[in-house]
This record gives sequence, C-alpha cells and structure tokens, in this order.
Amino acid sequence: MAEGPDPVDSMLDLMRRLPPTNVEENVNALIQICPDYADDLLGSVDQPLKVKTDRATGKDYLACDYNRDGDSYRSPWSNEYDPPIDDGTSPTPKLRKLEIAANEAFDTYRELYYEGGVSSVYLWDLEDGGFAGVVLLKKAMTPTSPDEPSGSWDSIHVFETVERGRQAHYKLTSTVMLELVTKQNNKADETSVLHETEKKASEQGWKSSGEITLSGSMTRQTEQDWPVHEPTSHITNTGKMIEEMEMKMRNLLQEVYFGKTRDIVYDLRSIDDLDKARRQRELQKELVGFIKR
Amino acid sequence: MSSENRVQVAASFILQSPPGEINDVLNDVRVIVDDDAGLEEGILPALREYNIAQFTTVEVPGEHHQTIISEFARVPDTEEERYLDPRSKISFVFNHLTLEATDPQSEEPSEVEPQRAALESAALSYLNSHYHDGVVTVLAMSTTRFAIQIVSNKYNPSNYWAGRWRSHYEIDFESRTIQGRVLVNVHYYEQGNVQLSTSNDSSISIPAAVSSLSPASSASKIFALIEAEESRCQASLNDAYHEMGEKAFKGLRRALPLTRQKIDWDKTMGYKLGAELTASNRAFGAQPR
Repeated sequence: MAEGPDPVDSMLDLMRRLPPTNVEENVNALIQICPDYADDLLGSVDQPLKVKTDRATGKDYLACDYNRDGDSYRSPWSNEYDPPIDDGTSPTPKLRKLEIAANEAFDTYRELYYEGGVSSVYLWDLEDGGFAGVVLLKKAMTPTSPDEPSGSWDSIHVFETVERGRQAHYKLTSTVMLELVTKQNNKADETSVLHETEKKASEQGWKSSGEITLSGSMTRQTEQDWPVHEPTSHITNTGKMIEEMEMKMRNLLQEVYFGKTRDIVYDLRSIDDLDKARRQRELQKELVGFIKR
Repeated sequence: MSSENRVQVAASFILQSPPGEINDVLNDVRVIVDDDAGLEEGILPALREYNIAQFTTVEVPGEHHQTIISEFARVPDTEEERYLDPRSKISFVFNHLTLEATDPQSEEPSEVEPQRAALESAALSYLNSHYHDGVVTVLAMSTTRFAIQIVSNKYNPSNYWAGRWRSHYEIDFESRTIQGRVLVNVHYYEQGNVQLSTSNDSSISIPAAVSSLSPASSASKIFALIEAEESRCQASLNDAYHEMGEKAFKGLRRALPLTRQKIDWDKTMGYKLGAELTASNRAFGAQPR
C-alpha cells in the first residue's frame, strides 16, 4: 500500500458519517478489519465516556483512552489502576499535585454547571517540555416516566501547554457528545383509563407510537496565551478557556440540534398545504397585474 | 480476518449510510477493506438491501417521472432484478450498484387497476400539497390490499447536511385498516456528526362508509386520514423538540451557574491549596514570591 488514500483518513471520514449511536460497535468492527490502526482509531475517535468507581475512595471517575494502560484505568482520586497493574504509567509527583488540584477545581465547575454527573482530569508530561491534559465531564439523565426525554452529555477537552517566560501558550480541542431520546405513545382517546373504552377507541380510531433520537458530537479548537504566576495558574487558565468553550458549544449544539435539524425536516415535508400557497400566490400576481392595467 | 468477514463488516457500514452519502461510504469502505475484487463480488446483497430499505428512486426509462425500488414492485417469476413502475405499467431491470434502469417492458395492469389508479391520483395530489421533492408509488398487493410508499430527499453536501423522509402504508380494505410507518433521518456534519432519527408507527381505522364509495372518493378519504396522521406526526416531532430542549438539554448542563455569573477561578482554586502548591514546588515556571 504505497499510494492511494491513507486508510486512517478513510476510517475517520467513515466515522463522521455513520450514526453516532453506533460509534462503539463501528470502531470495534474497524479495529477487527485493521488491527494495525487500533491506536490511531482509539486516539482520534471520541467515544462515550465510561463511569467507573474508585475502589479506594468510592468516588466515580471517567474512563477514556487517556487514563488507560492496557486493560486498566487510573482513577484521578486515588491514582490507582483498576484492575491493579504493576508499573502503570502515572504523572510525575509534581504533575500529580497539579492533577489533584485540577480535579478539585473542575469538580466544583461540574457541580455549578451540571448539578450532578461526574468529572475527571488527567495530566501527562510532554517529551519536548510542557505538559498536556484532558478534562472530562459527563452527565446522564434517566427519565422518571416513559414520556419524559432521556439524555446524556459528554465533554472531552484535550489541551497542551508550553510555557514561554511568564506566559503559557495553550492549545485546546473540545468535543461534546450529546444524545437526546424521546418516546411517544398516543391513542385515539388519551384520557381513557378504562380498558373497555381504550379498546373501543383503538378499534374505531387510531393509535401510534414513535421514538425520536437526536445524537452526535461537535468538535472545536482554540489557541490562547495566558500569564502564569504560579503552578495553579494553569488550572485557572484552562478553567477559563474550557468554561468559555463549553458556553460557545452549548449555544452551537442548541442551534444545530433544535434549529438546523428541525429546519431540514420542514424542507422535506410541509405541514401547510404547499399547493394552496402556490395557488394563492398566482391569484395575487393576477390581481396585481389587473390593478396595473 | 478473512476476506469474507471483511466484506460482511463493509456491508454493515453500507446499511448505516446516511441519506445521499452511500457513495462516500462506499469510497471509504473500498480503501479500508482494500480488496476490490472481494468487495465487488460480496457487496451486492447489501446494496440491494439498502436500496429497498431506503426507498431508492430511479427515473423510469422513457418516462418523465421517478419510481421507488420496492420489494412489492419486484416482478415475480424471474431471476432478474426486474421492478415495476405501476404508474406507467413499465417494468425494467435495475442495477443496484450503478442505480441504472434498463430493458423496459410493458406489463399488463392487474384487475384492481381502477382502485389502484384512484389511490395513485390521490397520492400525487397529496404529494404536491405537502412534499417539496417527493416521489410516491402505489402498488396492488392483492385484490383488497395496497402498498403506498413516499420518499422525499434533500441533499446539500456543500452545506454539510442531508435529509430523508420515508412513509410506508399498507391499506387493507377487508379489515378496514391503514398500517403506517414514518421514518425521518437528518445528517448535519459541519465540524461534527449530528443525526436525527425518528420512527413512528401508526394504525388507523377506515370508517365503514368508505367502502361503499367510488374508488376516487374512497381514495381521497384515505389520503385525508394519511394527511391528518402525517401532520400530527410532524407536529408531535415539534413537541418532542420542545420537550428535549426544555427538559433534557437544560437539565444536562446549565447555561450559567445558579449565581448567573461565570466562575471566579481564583476563588475556586482555594487559597490554601494554591499556597501549598506554590510552597512545595516551583515547577512550571512559577515566579518566586
């Protein structure tokens, strides 16, 4: 395979097209076809975050490719791998201190914006100096009744920072995965409780049941410079950047999910009678022509 | 993984193609599987399944309208992939890979043609009233049962979106019922991958009086019922959007914290924690105080 398109590019293009609800099984299928590209795929295709419980502290944390070593995941709270492994990769003591502080700060952020859910921050040193990290946030909503919508929000913010004197340069790539599901059930007589009336209603009229799923992910990038006074400045700086980014992305998701996709449905089918509207326009034209004469 | 299994995985990807993007998916799959001969040989059943499931349309040879490739339109007793366009009563051989229709032949109309034609005429006027770019096919399944399929596609790759609306109805004059299914798929993929997928099943009774009407009158009554159901379905999609926006979306993440202010990150960090870190190490370019 000397020439031709790069298989990884084709795999990523494919993942941008196939239904987001099937991302996990499709990534697994691709890995089976091309095991050599497993790392490329797992590193570049965002998948829903898994919630795990830290055995030492009992606190929940999020698992992704960034805290994985083999088949084990490192908890940001106890710094332990589960299942336990010998010499699993871990940040240097200095960086681990910053990681602990970052986890506390983003836990506060999570409580203020998500009022629930789970957050995790993982940091690692970069070979050419500086360090990188990932801030993860996840919240799921399970409906209390069958008519209530369910949903989940997963944020993945990956950043890299290099210090330049008293300034640090940050590169942030943010992905938000959002899924919303509503189930609908209707009968001719919705208020009927009696079995007999219900049966009669469905015999005479109609019944319908449906499901609506809005799912997907959007990714945005930004690069910024911020002053660094002390190690924790990095948390303040990335905190401000991530807060700003999530605000923008929340607006963007709202526009695309509830605006764009709805407009496209109306481009396919119209509730209003198009033929009537056409005839009305023609009549108007005729009238205008009549008045002009 | 054997070549056969690779083609099987490729087939599963093809069946998941969003509206209007099957060629893009095919191009990706070709590079990934890297076995054109095996793919060409093994992929045809998946393409056939996709075309039938997605109500693929084709221009009828010699006619100025399109028809839907449907299992109900398949001409029986032939090895060929031959499909009927009930409107022109012309059948043709359909190539599931190139999407070409060839070898047109005239077919004899069935004995229920008056009823079918009446439904078709009502269907076309309904299509004209509510669809921007729709195609409809009305087929006789037996003397009392008819299948109606509607598809409407909008592809806008330069603005990174595509949409498809599919409706399928089976009308049974004997049991006086209309069984319907509406499926809507939307793909929005500018710097992301967002998909809307809806399905709605309905069961509507046909009033007893309808069966005593003329074919034309009963057909227009039936389309009045379908129109009401589809408009209700679209309106309830609107309600679902509202519910998901108001309940789920707002409940997942607030626009701003309860204080209506952005976070004061210096405070959040906690002075104690910050001081401790500064004292214990002066890494990351920290300035000594």
